[in-house]
Amino acid sequence: MMASLLSAWPAAILVPLPVALPLVVCAALLASAHLLPARVPDILAALTAVACAGLCAMIALHAGDGAVDYWFGGWTPRDGVALGIGFSVDAASGWIAAFIAFLYACTFVFAWGFFGRTHGHFHILMLLFLAAMTGFCFTRDLFNLFVWFEVMSVAAFALTAYHLEESAIVGALNFTVINSLAGFLMLGGIGLLYARTETLDFAGIAAGVAHAGHDPIVAGGFCLVAAALMIKGAAVPFQFWLADAHAVAPSPVSVIFSGAMVSLGIFGLAKLTVAVFGGSAQVREAVPPLLIGLGAVSAVLGGWMALLQRHLKRMLAFSTISHAGIMLVGIGALSAGGTGGLLVYVVGHGLVKGSLFMIAGILLATRASIDEIALRGLGRGIGPVGIAMAVAGLLLAGLPVGVLDVGSRLLHGALEHTHSYALTACVIGGALTGAAVLRAAGRIFLGLGEDPGDEAGAPSEEEREKADRPLWLMLAPCCAMLIADVALPSGWISDIAPGAVAAFSRHTLTGPLNEGPASPAWTSVAGAVALASYALFRHRLPRVIVGPIRATQSAPTRLLEALHSGLIGDYVAWLAVGLAVIAGMLAFA
Amino acid sequence: MSWLPYAVAAWLFAVGLYGLASSRNLIHLVGCLSVCQSATYVLLLSLGYRWGSIAPIFYDHPPGTPAVDPVMQALVLTDIVVGATLTALLLVLTVQVYKRGGTLDPEHLRPLRRRGDTPQPKFRGGAEQPAP
Repeated sequence: MMASLLSAWPAAILVPLPVALPLVVCAALLASAHLLPARVPDILAALTAVACAGLCAMIALHAGDGAVDYWFGGWTPRDGVALGIGFSVDAASGWIAAFIAFLYACTFVFAWGFFGRTHGHFHILMLLFLAAMTGFCFTRDLFNLFVWFEVMSVAAFALTAYHLEESAIVGALNFTVINSLAGFLMLGGIGLLYARTETLDFAGIAAGVAHAGHDPIVAGGFCLVAAALMIKGAAVPFQFWLADAHAVAPSPVSVIFSGAMVSLGIFGLAKLTVAVFGGSAQVREAVPPLLIGLGAVSAVLGGWMALLQRHLKRMLAFSTISHAGIMLVGIGALSAGGTGGLLVYVVGHGLVKGSLFMIAGILLATRASIDEIALRGLGRGIGPVGIAMAVAGLLLAGLPVGVLDVGSRLLHGALEHTHSYALTACVIGGALTGAAVLRAAGRIFLGLGEDPGDEAGAPSEEEREKADRPLWLMLAPCCAMLIADVALPSGWISDIAPGAVAAFSRHTLTGPLNEGPASPAWTSVAGAVALASYALFRHRLPRVIVGPIRATQSAPTRLLEALHSGLIGDYVAWLAVGLAVIAGMLAFA
Repeated sequence: MSWLPYAVAAWLFAVGLYGLASSRNLIHLVGCLSVCQSATYVLLLSLGYRWGSIAPIFYDHPPGTPAVDPVMQALVLTDIVVGATLTALLLVLTVQVYKRGGTLDPEHLRPLRRRGDTPQPKFRGGAEQPAP
C-alpha cells in the first residue's frame, strides 16, 4: 500500500524542492523580516526545516536501491553526453539530507528567541546554510558541488563571527582563510579533472577516470579535491581551524558545524572516492594507507586534545576532530562495510554531538560560563541537563545502543581483520572523547574533582549567552536528538544499509555488511569511565601513582598545545605539509 | 599546450601560501589570499585555451568557428564572484578586529585569549595541569 502510493508520486519533481524551499523562505524573510512580529522568523524557519526533512525522507524512500535523477531545465544527457546540471539522490544521500534538516529543526527550536532583535538575519543565514548542505548531498555535478561548498562556507563564516566579539572574529578569520584556500584547491582540482575527462558530471568523470589509467592529471585532480574536502572534514593536519571556529561560534551554530558541516566534508570525500574515483587503480591504491593513516592519527590526537581542554566548546570541537578521523578511516577501508558504517556514523555522531553543544549552550545561558573548572558544582540545580550530558558522553564513548553504535559496529566489522591498528585508534578516540565529556559532567553536575582555588577563573574571555528562554525549551530539542539516536530501530538501518551503500557507491562497492563484535564498544566505554574517574579523583590517589603519569604526559602535552597556536600562518604551513603528504602518497601509489 | 601556465599557477599558489604563512598584517594577508586565488584563474583559463580560436561569442561569427572552452570561462567568472565575496567579508572582519583589538598583527590576535593578556601563554593546559 505504502509502496504503491510512493511509486505513484512523481518523486523526480520533489528533488529540487528541499533546496529551493529554504532559499525561497530565506528571500521572503530577508524582504519582510523587519515587518514581522518577533517570533515569526523562528516559527517559519523551524517549519521550513521540518518540511525539508519530510521531503528528503520521501525522496530517500522513493530512491530505494537506486537513485532518483533530476535534470534542471530538462537538459537530460543525450548520446551519453551530459551538458546539463543534475541532482541524483540515492537513499543514503537522501537520509543524510533528512537528518541534516532534522538537526536544523532542533537547532531552530533551541535558538528560540536567542537572536531576538536581528531582523531574522540568523535565520536567513541558517536557511541558506541548510539549502547549501542539501544541494551538496544531492548534486551529481562536480562544479555544482563546488558552488554548494562555497555557499556553505560563506554562510558559515558569517555565522561564526555573528557575535562580533574579539575572539569570535579572530576564530572566524582563521576559519575563513583556511576554508577559502580549500575552495581554491577544489576549483583547481575540478579544472584538472575537466581537462582530462571533458565533463563535470560524476558519471562522466567516473568513466573518464577509469579509462585514463595511470595519469598524473587525474592524480593531481584527486589530490586537490580530496585536500579541500579533508580541510572541511578537519583531518589532521588540516584540523586547526575547527577548534578555533567551533569554540567561538554561537552555540546553535556550533551544533550545525559539528553535527553536519564537518561530517559533510567527509561525506563528500566518500562519495567522490567511491562513486567517481572508484575505477582509478592509482587512487584505489593510495586511498587506504592515506585515509586510514590520517584518520587514525586524527582520532587519537583529537581525543587527547579534547581531554586537555577546560573550555567546554573547545573540548567538544576537538572531540569532533577525533570522530571525523574515525569516519575518515571508514572511507579508507574502501569496502561496503566501511562506507556503510561511515554513513550511519555521520547520523549518529551528528545527533549526539549536536545535543552536547546544546548542553554547552544551556550552561552558557543559565550559568554564564563555559569553563569546566569555573562551573564545578554549579550544575546542581539543573539535574536533567546533567543526566543528558552523562548519557551523551557514554554514547560518544561507544555505549552499544543507538545509531552511533550501529555505525561504529559496522566500521569495526570492516576494519577487524584487515586494519587492526586503525580499529584500536577508533576505540582509543571514542574512549578519550567520552572520558572528556564524562569528566566535565561529573565536575559540573556532581561537584567532583579537586577544589580549584585560584584556578577557578577562566583563562579565556568572559562569555555568556542570553538566558531569555525557559530551560525546558532548550532541553527539549537536545533530548529529542538523544532519543532519536537511541530509538531509531537498528534492524531497519541494517536492512536498508546494503542497498543504500551499493547505490551510494554507484555499484562499485557491493557485498555484505558485517557488524563487528560488541567487545571494542565495551572496552571503549570502560576506558572512558576509567579515564574520567582518574581525572576526577586524582587528588585522592597516592602520589606514587599520579607522579609518573603526570611526568610522562607533560612533555607531549606541551608540544600539542604549542602546535595549536591560533596563528593563521602556522595553520597555512601545516596545510602545505598536508597537501605534500597527499601528493606524495598518490605519486608513490 | 605549453607547461608555462601550469608553472605560473603553481608558483603563484606557492608564493601566496608563503605570504599567508609569514604575514604580520591582516590586510597583507587578505592580499596574499587573492594571490593564491589568481593561481586558480591562470590554471583554469590556460586549461580552456585553444590557440587561434575566438572568444565563445557567436554573435558575429558563424556557428562552428573554433572557440575557447566556455565552461572554463564560466568557472573563472564564478571564481571571481567567490573571490569578491571572500575579500569583502575578510576586510569587514579585519575592520572589526582593528576596532576591538587596535592591532592588525595576527601574532597579537589569538582566539580565546584573555583580555589584556600578553600573547605568550595563550591557553592553559586545562584540568590536567592544576597549579602547583
